[in-house]
Amino acid sequence: MTDNAETSYDVLIVGGGPAGQAAALELAAVGARCAVIDEQARPGGQILRQPPVSFAAQNWVDENSYRPLRQQLRVFENQAAIAWLGRRSVIGLQPGPQGHSLTTSGADGLQELSAAHVLIAAGCYDMPYPAPGWTLPGAMGAGAMQTLLKAQGIVTGEPIVFAGTHPLMLLIAAQISRAGGKVAEVAFDRSLATIGKSMIRHCATALRNGSLLGEAGKAMMDLRRAGVPVRFGRPLQEITGADRVTGAVFGEADHPETTPCGSIGLCYGFLPQSDLPRQAGLSVRWSSPSGGWATCHDQWMQSSVEGVWVAGETTGVAGAPIARDEGRIAGLGIAAALGLITNRDATRRAAPFRQSRKAAMRFAAMLDDIAAPKQALDRVAASNTTICRCEKVSASAVRETLGSTTDVNAVKRITRCGMGLCQGRNCEHMLIRMSAAAEGRGLETMKGFTGRFPARPVSIADLLEKPLP
Amino acid sequence: MKKIARRSVEHWTNSDVFLSDIDFLVIGGGLVGAASAWHLASAGTKVWLCEQASPGHGASGQNAGSLHFQIERRFLEREDGVGREGEQTAQLSRLAVQDWRDLERQIGRNLGVHMEGGLMVAHSAQEVRLLETKAAREQAMGLAVETIDRAQVQALAPYLSPDILAANFMADEGHADARIIAPAFADAAQSAGARLLDATRVASLQKRGALFEARLEKGEEIQTVTAAKVLICAGIWSPQIAAMAGLHLPLFPAPLTMNATARTAAFLPYLIQHVGRRLSIKQTAAGNLLIGGGWPSRLHRTGSGFDFSRAPALVPQSLTGNLQTAVETMPVIGEHELLRSWTGITAVTQDQLPVAGEFPSLPGLFCAAGGSAFTLGPTFARLVADQMLERRRDEADALLSVASPARFESLNGFMGR
Repeated sequence: MTDNAETSYDVLIVGGGPAGQAAALELAAVGARCAVIDEQARPGGQILRQPPVSFAAQNWVDENSYRPLRQQLRVFENQAAIAWLGRRSVIGLQPGPQGHSLTTSGADGLQELSAAHVLIAAGCYDMPYPAPGWTLPGAMGAGAMQTLLKAQGIVTGEPIVFAGTHPLMLLIAAQISRAGGKVAEVAFDRSLATIGKSMIRHCATALRNGSLLGEAGKAMMDLRRAGVPVRFGRPLQEITGADRVTGAVFGEADHPETTPCGSIGLCYGFLPQSDLPRQAGLSVRWSSPSGGWATCHDQWMQSSVEGVWVAGETTGVAGAPIARDEGRIAGLGIAAALGLITNRDATRRAAPFRQSRKAAMRFAAMLDDIAAPKQALDRVAASNTTICRCEKVSASAVRETLGSTTDVNAVKRITRCGMGLCQGRNCEHMLIRMSAAAEGRGLETMKGFTGRFPARPVSIADLLEKPLP
Repeated sequence: MKKIARRSVEHWTNSDVFLSDIDFLVIGGGLVGAASAWHLASAGTKVWLCEQASPGHGASGQNAGSLHFQIERRFLEREDGVGREGEQTAQLSRLAVQDWRDLERQIGRNLGVHMEGGLMVAHSAQEVRLLETKAAREQAMGLAVETIDRAQVQALAPYLSPDILAANFMADEGHADARIIAPAFADAAQSAGARLLDATRVASLQKRGALFEARLEKGEEIQTVTAAKVLICAGIWSPQIAAMAGLHLPLFPAPLTMNATARTAAFLPYLIQHVGRRLSIKQTAAGNLLIGGGWPSRLHRTGSGFDFSRAPALVPQSLTGNLQTAVETMPVIGEHELLRSWTGITAVTQDQLPVAGEFPSLPGLFCAAGGSAFTLGPTFARLVADQMLERRRDEADALLSVASPARFESLNGFMGR
């Protein structure tokens, strides 16, 4: 990859994670002029978040399961035909019949880019879990903790508690423990019996994916060996502390048990990044059971808008191997649309990726089932916790308004829930779940907030210095 | 159908009317519809308020909430200048000032009303002359507007650009919270006995004998209701509803652009407008700066026309044009972050004047739509409710004459029913 100052490309790829890299490699191999845009300085995505070049990082993501991704990253970094546009946020996407225009915002202000095809491979983010106390400094997504470790070699306030439903927290806790961080407890919301039932439902898949499960098992063993308790059936009731996190309260209301801690990693699942697809008017669907908006696509990963493609967690959170397969399929689809390869060639070359994607999807479905956050979310929906941290709107204020309307955009207007700096990235999923429950409707029938420009807040002076075309 | 006893409505009802299911059907749950329903229900009548989504879903909840009582820039742009219509609108503005001053007390709910003054600014000598002419006309019409010079502008609002040469100040101007106003009125209307039908569309509307019959659809549920009188106040959807009754209501969609910054500490108590450029700036109680002023956005199109069901597309030139104008007027705006740009559709008539009153060719059918319906909305609601209730009817007719749908009779004369 090379730094580049062009403004017009055949293909613009948003996101330099496994999906974006895979698509770029397919496209570069057939001679497409493509650029990859990312908020980070270096490629890798969240899963291979790289430390700054000046850091001497030892044992950086050296687990076995990362090996194929590390290999792809190396090839990507060495592919000179791919332009790398790091440290930029994409704040706007305007699809057009003659090509699409993309506005990015970075340290040098705004930049306007255009391309015949745009691929959105923007990944996902930790589902914000609004347990009482979640806004205290020291409470964060488990993925954020992992990022601090991978990218900066930083361990958050010790000892660390992990709480959630998603088994990924075992791996993160083990990584942190191995890096010398003190972990106080890993607390699964659901009982081992419930999780076991999910595994039995998917037992064929579980057997076929023995190595991945083995990794989780190994993480658990490592933690136990390091003296870290891994407990099940430990619903998080509250995060305590005056001006920062000092403890996590578990158990039922009448038998609270407090684990003292300096920080807490919340791991209840992941939501697809959907600001850009929704702003550009792409069709999306509610992504059950973890929630959030997954962008709809056809078999070549093309969205409802011609020439705008999606791959990876943007289409539903399913893990890096699937993201990579989808990136490859999208890359081949775009190459065929550009006339660089024949449809027949694309079909033939995509076949193995479709095959492995299909197999991995079954594992992703099992993980979804194990990690289902519904019970945990119902608990906070019934509490008085703040669900919109930007505008300080409580779950009880939302419940009260739901008595007169269950239209989420109306509740937003009346309560200000979702009107703040994050524009609903934190609270929209909670509001939608609460509204669906109040109306007795299925989540798949719900409408979300209207996506608007800009996808990230942008300085008005910057916007005027480099006006949109 | 059962006969319903009523208290205060005998003086307008006739024997046929007693056969209707309800007295009044109000179509459109925006500011005007919700406030009308509140007035009508408060008079002891049986009112249904029908809203296709939820109260304030349309332009009432999408506009930037300006309470502007000075003569509008768009009227000054007209070739014949500020005519008779301008004076009549000014008369309505005077009433609107009184209405807004008392609304929160009357309905017992917070509407975020802030009337701490408004400045309409000028950058050029020519614009200053326009301000002075305008202020003279406004004073003659009983609006308390005064032209102040650069030093006075700076003393009042030091954050305005030193390039501003003068401004017209009106102490009554300000803003209200567009987010909450229609839901608040809908809530008050329900407390007064009105029935709100949300997520409900009107599928047909026709006059049968002395009554209006409407078919209402909420998802799969369909019901038919008869009403003595009907008020159409459905913003840009109003022409479609009027067409169901066989009438022209010539309104045109005006897709506009609004912008909000991230919150900032309170510093701006005034409504800021520009006499020569499209601009409005205000600061909400929460701290966001709202920047608008009538910059266009782009309607989506269908095979046969415009698609009002989708939010209009943002036009980049409008976004930057609006923000550039804002920064040239108030440089500090450049230091803020743009949080959200949104679009919404208001409805305007060809002569830019609003529409409010009864259709002469179809007695019993009323409408209230077409521009300035936020600032003048509570007043339209009050006066149209008076007309519908036959309460101080002559006075209401006179005040609304400038807005009467009678001016479409030349078109509706061709319409057989």
